[in-house]
Amino acid sequence: MSESLPPKSVLALEARTPLTPGIALAVLLHVVVFGAALVLPRLFDRAPPLRKPIIAHMVALGKPRDPHLLPRKELAPPAAAASPMTVPVPSSKPSPAPRKREPTRQELMQRALAHATGRAEPREEPDPERAGSAKGTPEGTAATAEEGDAYFTAVHDAILENYVVPSVISERERLYLSASVLAWIGPGGQILKHEFQKKSGNAFFDQALELAIQRTKLPPPPAEIAKSLRDTGVVLNFKP
Amino acid sequence: MIFLLALLLAAERPVIDLSGGRVQAYPLAMARPLGVQDAGIAVQSVLSQDFERSGLFKLLDPASFLARPTEGLTNIDYSKWQAVGAQGLIKISCDAPGAEVKCDMRLYDVAHGVELLHGTYNAPRAAMRQIAHRFGDDVVRYFTHEPAIFQTRIAYVRETEQGKQIVVADQDGANVQPLTGASINLLPAWTPDGRTIAFTSFRDGLGAHVYTVDAVTRQVRPLVLMGDFATGAVYAPDGLRFLFSASLDDNTDIYLSQADGSAGRRLTDSRGIDISASWSPDGKRIAFVSERAGSPQIYIMAADGSDVRRLTFQGNYNQEPAWSPKGDLIAFSGRDEHRIFDLYTVAVEGGKVTRLTQNQGTNEKPSWAPNGRYLLFSSTRGGKRQLWETQPDGSNQRAVTSERMGASDPAWGPLPASK
Repeated sequence: MSESLPPKSVLALEARTPLTPGIALAVLLHVVVFGAALVLPRLFDRAPPLRKPIIAHMVALGKPRDPHLLPRKELAPPAAAASPMTVPVPSSKPSPAPRKREPTRQELMQRALAHATGRAEPREEPDPERAGSAKGTPEGTAATAEEGDAYFTAVHDAILENYVVPSVISERERLYLSASVLAWIGPGGQILKHEFQKKSGNAFFDQALELAIQRTKLPPPPAEIAKSLRDTGVVLNFKP
Repeated sequence: MIFLLALLLAAERPVIDLSGGRVQAYPLAMARPLGVQDAGIAVQSVLSQDFERSGLFKLLDPASFLARPTEGLTNIDYSKWQAVGAQGLIKISCDAPGAEVKCDMRLYDVAHGVELLHGTYNAPRAAMRQIAHRFGDDVVRYFTHEPAIFQTRIAYVRETEQGKQIVVADQDGANVQPLTGASINLLPAWTPDGRTIAFTSFRDGLGAHVYTVDAVTRQVRPLVLMGDFATGAVYAPDGLRFLFSASLDDNTDIYLSQADGSAGRRLTDSRGIDISASWSPDGKRIAFVSERAGSPQIYIMAADGSDVRRLTFQGNYNQEPAWSPKGDLIAFSGRDEHRIFDLYTVAVEGGKVTRLTQNQGTNEKPSWAPNGRYLLFSSTRGGKRQLWETQPDGSNQRAVTSERMGASDPAWGPLPASK
């Protein structure tokens, strides 16, 4: 003879059934309300879409180089390292001839601006073999033209001025290194704070990025994006 | 909820990609040596030159140092070193009991105030330079995690009144030792174990043939006596085979042989000259020069002679390929439109050509350091042809030799066997 089961609790059944969808509905409503509170004001007071920077180069004055010729150097090779400490060393080896320092990209830009405003010093003769365009300028830094964005290009250039990769990091390792830093920029252009979103794993590289950000002075952002840069920041993705 | 908020915020953030940071040397201070001064100063001098040549370090001017000259090996006032811009600090203390020199050498991280390296190095007084080279190698290896080359040797051809002789020297040009007499000897090439050097010689009076010389005993042996023109032997990375060029039936081709000179077979068979073979670091491919398309250009092929592909299309005279130890680049010398030979690299994948030298005399015969960080080459920029070195981007070019009548045909030796 089988043992009969105890009668089910009718109360318990009835209590559970209406509660579960109720909780789900409440959670859903909260998400919708919070989401709407967050998104709707942004839809009505939305800053213009932020664009990624594209680096603008001034195109050099010159003629396009015959692609069948071996290339020429865009700039002379970096000068030999500065003299080391003056430990007395008997040596009769010839030393490389002193080479004139090549202007940096920033200096070339400044020269070009000076020419544009009529404040230029007498210019040197451009290299007649320099690749460029017939519409270019002697101070140009690129053989071909690109288009760029304004403020983010300025941010890019300012950080790049201080972005130094230690040469002790091997070339092979440089191929794979990358790091992400989130930086908040104040209305005056000051970097309010920054934090690593992703470290590179190489202490020398990460230290160099810290130094670059600490040393960078930025121009004040345009009004339409100032609030966004202060509150949500900008992501800086570094590769060597 | 928090996750959703974070996602919304992240989606709104602009992203700036930064690459192409300036590669800058690591600022390093070398404190005045402690202990026996003449030994300490001599070791420090060689170390300074090694670091300077490496392009990795910027040595700070000792005149700017704020720390006491008598500051010990330990108990360092790091703030004084930080104040002069040092990120690394080297301390040396040498002792010279009898004919031996013993140096305690240390590397410190100034920013974090910690010792990074510490070792004691001994050598006979006559070989004191080796102390600096060994510590220098340890420092470079610490930073780069790559093999360092301060203890490597180079071979080259020295011009003399009597002719051209094969010599070996330390990588910095010091400690030169002749290996052969001075007939016409050319194109030295190391075996991977660094014990033997193959070279091309006219010593037998029957044309050009390939010989070997023992780098220690200087014993010379014939290796290839084929025909009246056999030249340019280069050993495979495994040391079991070598390539050379030889002229048979008025056609110069590339041949492959076992290391003892046996079982030679022809790899190329084109109507034009095929010459100047160079192995890829994995020994599976070969770069060479061929005139098959009308002008000398750089080609690559599989180690069995199949799968030939032209690599250079710019310029009308490209020669002397040298495959980099990292495998990605082939250095070569090319004649530009001014009919001057200069150094270039070509990317094995993609074929992008980069110029390394320009407006500095004639520059030829590139040979890679075994870690791929430097190239040795010959240059006439100072008058007589001498050996110079450069980094693969063309930076940090420095003279290596100062031979009275000139030097050419450099061959950078292998890394020393690990002890």
